[in-house]
Amino acid sequence: MRLKDVIVGAAMTAAGAAYLRMAQLLPEKDGVDAATVPTFLAWLMILLGLIELAGALRRAPDDAARAPTGGVLTVALTLALIAGYVAALRPLGFPIATALYLFVQFLVLTPRSIRPPVPLYAGLAVAAAAVIFATFRYGFDLLLPSGPLVAWLN
Amino acid sequence: MFDLLLQGFAAVLSPQILVLMIAGVAVGIVFGAVPGLTAVMAIALCLPMTYGLGPAAGISLLIALFVGATSGGLISAILLKIPGTPSSIATTFDGGPMMEKGEGAKALGVGIVFSFIGTIASIAALAFIAPSLAQVALSFGPHEYFAIAVFSLTLIATLSSGSMAKGIFAGVLGFAVSTVGIAPVDATTRFTLGQVELNAGFSILTVLVGMFAVAEIIKVAETARSVAPGEGVAPIVTIKGFGFSMAEFLGQIPNAIRSSLIGIGIGILPGIGAGTSNIIAYIAAKKRSKTPEEFGKGTIEGVVASETANNAGIGSAMIPLLTLGIPGDAVTAIMLGGLMIHGIQPGPMLFLTQAPLVYTIFAALIVSACLMLVLEFWGLRIFIRLLAIPKHILLPVILVLCAVGAFGLASRVFDIWTILAFGVLGFAFVKAGIPTAPFIIGFILGPMAETSFRRGLQLSRGDVTGFLTNPISGVFLALAVLSIAWQLYGEYRVSRLPASANPLKLGGEE
Repeated sequence: MRLKDVIVGAAMTAAGAAYLRMAQLLPEKDGVDAATVPTFLAWLMILLGLIELAGALRRAPDDAARAPTGGVLTVALTLALIAGYVAALRPLGFPIATALYLFVQFLVLTPRSIRPPVPLYAGLAVAAAAVIFATFRYGFDLLLPSGPLVAWLN
Repeated sequence: MFDLLLQGFAAVLSPQILVLMIAGVAVGIVFGAVPGLTAVMAIALCLPMTYGLGPAAGISLLIALFVGATSGGLISAILLKIPGTPSSIATTFDGGPMMEKGEGAKALGVGIVFSFIGTIASIAALAFIAPSLAQVALSFGPHEYFAIAVFSLTLIATLSSGSMAKGIFAGVLGFAVSTVGIAPVDATTRFTLGQVELNAGFSILTVLVGMFAVAEIIKVAETARSVAPGEGVAPIVTIKGFGFSMAEFLGQIPNAIRSSLIGIGIGILPGIGAGTSNIIAYIAAKKRSKTPEEFGKGTIEGVVASETANNAGIGSAMIPLLTLGIPGDAVTAIMLGGLMIHGIQPGPMLFLTQAPLVYTIFAALIVSACLMLVLEFWGLRIFIRLLAIPKHILLPVILVLCAVGAFGLASRVFDIWTILAFGVLGFAFVKAGIPTAPFIIGFILGPMAETSFRRGLQLSRGDVTGFLTNPISGVFLALAVLSIAWQLYGEYRVSRLPASANPLKLGGEE
């Protein structure tokens, strides 16, 4: 049994089951209706999930390939940072949210072997945010949120 | 036809569009060359710039990016022995050893020139095949479209890398995601979870940017902190002349013709684009070669086969895209999204209603190929320097540009949340070993399949056999079944072989 493959197979089956449940909640009509194709797709997903699950249970465990766990924290931090950035776009506005996001993200992704050049990162983050905002706001007329800077930027 | 092509050239060669295209090819080459950056990313982050441009300028820019990114992969394949994109995998087999032997300049020269030849051959195929295919496709009804969509879906799901169950699952899940929003025919609202923003379903572009660009950024985040300083820094190489002799060039013509045909033939099929054709062309060149023992040790034959074939996929992948609205892979899928933003709906009617625009696309492809040749020869030093920009600086900036692109679609922060959600899904796919390309094709072809299925049933008064008795639809459905049976047979055969005898896996993915 390979645990990772079992989880993947189970997740595939679960996704199919959830989709089937949602399809069953759709209003019914005679003959082929809006639920017909989703129901068929859901059963297919469940079937494929079960095939994968059965295969995973039969396979011998794979001892050699253990994924490194060091990157998990960086991935989680990156996801949290992106989510925070998207949430901050309206209240803080594009220029401030982007500069903050870039600065912290540069720090999070810097390889362990390098000492992060903090002033350079800060300068780069502010410059990149300003250039991107100016290019799209004034060059391509895209109304990016300005946030508290609205009085100065529009 | 030639009048229209001349009009196309006149449009493309206007100063504004030409400048955009030079920038597009250059950015494309950089994205193709830097491992981890992809053609989809290049197009995704330049899309918001095209929102305010006219259709001709916007599409020319997208095509320039496409051509540049497909060809740029050879730079890192030869200099770093890392393929910038899957379409340059086979280039590393001989390009890398040539570089080690001190023949890097020759390998680059050969790669660049034969990339150009492959591109031009495929554009010729596109210009001659597409109008006739569009003529035939005009008579297609819902039965035919349903069968073609099912055939394309099975082909990509079964031929993309990894297990068939996972490949088909990815295609089906993409189809399922496409059912969010208002259903075709009876306009029932489905799976929107009460969110008004989902009534129109997910936009192709948010799904693509999420699955390919954001997922890639998350993937790089996983390893970014353990990268050693100086890793991935390419040596500077300069090319004098083309780097190879006329006799060497002429000797490679049969190889180039064979590889172009392989690249064009495979590129037309949905799902198995340049990621696969470069390897098949390489194997074919080795079999036909008088010196097969030189392959893998640094022979120009290997570089010629790989680079001609992968670039021959450029024009041929546009054939099903323009004539049927069916993208072959993620890059052509994002091109489809870009075309639709400019109000262009690919399909056979495009050749009737917007013929000048179709020929503008042809002209843009030819001009981009020429620009690629010029920029790669004379700008090589700059591209090599750009390879050294650290990923931890580049990727966050790309994420911000992706967010701007998503926001620009409808000025909604909701779309940025969507790219993040699909980015997480794409990363989960990578971790689970599920191929991404079938998901995208399922997402794009799903609505076509469902709408055609329901319309076809209405036409044949609920009789399902109509799909089998219609000759064209019957043939495509039979081909779909054959493709699954063939793959099942292949999996059975491989499972009986020892692991070491497992042949090269098909790439198929973006």
